[in-house]
Amino acid sequence: MNFLKRKFYSYYLQPHIEFPDRIERREYAFILFNEDSMHRHISFSSKEAILTYLKANVPAHAYYSSAYYRTPSASTMKEKQWMGADLIFDLDADHLPNIENLTYEETLQEVKKELLKLLSFLTEDFGFGKHDIRIYFSGGRGYHCHISNKSVLELGSQERREIVDYITARGLEIKEIVGERSIYKDRFVDKRIEIYPDHGGWKGRIARGIINFFKQIKSMEREDAIKELMKIEGIGKKIAEALYDALTDERMKRIEKGMIDQASEFRRIVKPLIKRLAVSLHSEADEPVTADIKRLIRLPGSLHGKTGLKVTRVDIDAIEDFDPLTHAVVFGDDMIKVNVEKPIKIKMKENVFELEKGAATVPEYLAVFLVARKMAVA
Amino acid sequence: MAEAKEWVKEQKVNIEEILFDELYERARQRGVERVKQSLEKGIIYDAPLLNDVDCAMEIFSYPIARMLVVAIESDYLLRRYALAEAKRAYENMKNEGEDFISYLAKEMGIEVNGEKIHFADYLKYAPTWDMKWKLVNRELKNGYVMLSKNEVARLIQEAIRKKIYNELSYIFAPPEVKKVFRNEIIAIKSRIAFKDKRAKMKEVNADYFPPCIKSLISAAKSGINVPHVGRFTMVTFLNAIGMSIDEILKIFSSSPDFNEEKTRYQIEHITGRISSTVYAPPKCDTIRTWGLCYPDEYCRGIKHPLFYYRRRRK
Repeated sequence: MNFLKRKFYSYYLQPHIEFPDRIERREYAFILFNEDSMHRHISFSSKEAILTYLKANVPAHAYYSSAYYRTPSASTMKEKQWMGADLIFDLDADHLPNIENLTYEETLQEVKKELLKLLSFLTEDFGFGKHDIRIYFSGGRGYHCHISNKSVLELGSQERREIVDYITARGLEIKEIVGERSIYKDRFVDKRIEIYPDHGGWKGRIARGIINFFKQIKSMEREDAIKELMKIEGIGKKIAEALYDALTDERMKRIEKGMIDQASEFRRIVKPLIKRLAVSLHSEADEPVTADIKRLIRLPGSLHGKTGLKVTRVDIDAIEDFDPLTHAVVFGDDMIKVNVEKPIKIKMKENVFELEKGAATVPEYLAVFLVARKMAVA
Repeated sequence: MAEAKEWVKEQKVNIEEILFDELYERARQRGVERVKQSLEKGIIYDAPLLNDVDCAMEIFSYPIARMLVVAIESDYLLRRYALAEAKRAYENMKNEGEDFISYLAKEMGIEVNGEKIHFADYLKYAPTWDMKWKLVNRELKNGYVMLSKNEVARLIQEAIRKKIYNELSYIFAPPEVKKVFRNEIIAIKSRIAFKDKRAKMKEVNADYFPPCIKSLISAAKSGINVPHVGRFTMVTFLNAIGMSIDEILKIFSSSPDFNEEKTRYQIEHITGRISSTVYAPPKCDTIRTWGLCYPDEYCRGIKHPLFYYRRRRK
């Protein structure tokens, strides 16, 4: 048995699995060590049966279906007979910009920002209560958000797609969320935009976003404000300066009331702002996965074969405090000899490690992490 | 509607009477009219209701029309009929007060709370292929979507359409119906054959489709759940270059939750077969913001997917 499998085995002797509801209606799937293919269409009738399987097979990855089926072990969708599915959001780092230059810790921090945005949509707009939402650290590079509220179980994939489009702002039409008024003054037409900060939905979100943006700009020193404005695509130095200088106290008051006097400056900033406010879920090509009615998700409490970290429940009120490299670690402190293949600096369980290439003695938890990530061999 | 059903029951009339008794001749005529109008015009016009008898005939004409539609056994007619009845209900709802509409919504299983409706109900019935009905363009707060009275009526229309379609899909007409309406059935069937047959379409050359459309088609064919805006892009494009509904439908048939009736209805709507609007395919700009654009070397200078196709086909 190789090192990693041995360690996983020791965990699966007494794992802390959080079992899904309706255990016997789910399909389970596993990837075993040294295998590429997935063992699918497995069903279990009890918690004990799942635990027995984990102990006997020590999988590198363990999944269950978000969907409930009449016959989960059948091999085709038709024979499985779909009955409903939890609503799952999968936030992953893969598609975020510049992600390849970030460390593992920084990457997870970026995903957390997206998670907080997602939660604001789910609670404020969709009205889900905190008890409807369960958040898990995926064990890899992201977070999963599960919703099993009765109202969503039977939604089809097109309806789920509408929900994804909502939180990612796909298909958002600016003319539907702002008012445009033409004011005739001495034969001139003055176009004005009205925004509605007190409204619900994107209408209110974008309005509050615009107001906050201008407030932030106004509170900055001229030079910084111009720099900030120029971060927006399509805004050069000249426009940024003009925008900042036009932002008088009186102007700001009107903006806070929802009136934007110049339609042109609004147009410049509205699209980039929408992008910032929307949740960046998956890469766009992958996105259908989230709206899928039959996807597989990692079993909470199982280990992720590429990190050795546990799929861990995150308290919705303590997201900021959640540190995957402490809270998702299951292995102990016994010292183990490994051969580090790449120099690395990492903070785990509150300890900072700086390792050079070559032999090193490290705590078991770090050894598992490094070996699983293929940064060391045991 | 439930009340009308109760009323019909209370009258203690049986099917034979409605089908054969001279008393109900006018109801039978009106029943045939309902079916013919839905086929030809896509909507059922109001009949003048001057007295109680008129009202009774109007009410009895409804089960007659339903039996007739079922007896003709055409899915095309069934879809047209269900939509026309639902549209008629919508037209009538427009003149009703809020209380009545809330009542009707409840009867259709839609929980309306003032002018708010839960998003899950909204998604079941809203025509979200239309941009202004997409959830993202709606005011959604605490789980509820804000709607105007007419918009609630529009959702009820869709609920009624679904209900009629589903009810009539699973029943058979009493054999007498085919006898009584023999001539009408023959006439209507020949009109269906005429209308349902689409003029032979121009040859379509898929090699020259722009890459966005190609990737959408291959995604749909391999059973991947294509985003809504993607479906919209694909359907409007394929319709614009002259592909038939059945051919378009085939592309979607491998989708994991393929529902022929629903998909056909949506395609027919977007392509103007059963609605007044033919939606145009979106511009390249729009496709790009939807994240569906994967340009190739021929895309340079192209602003609309149709130009791509026309240019390359030359």
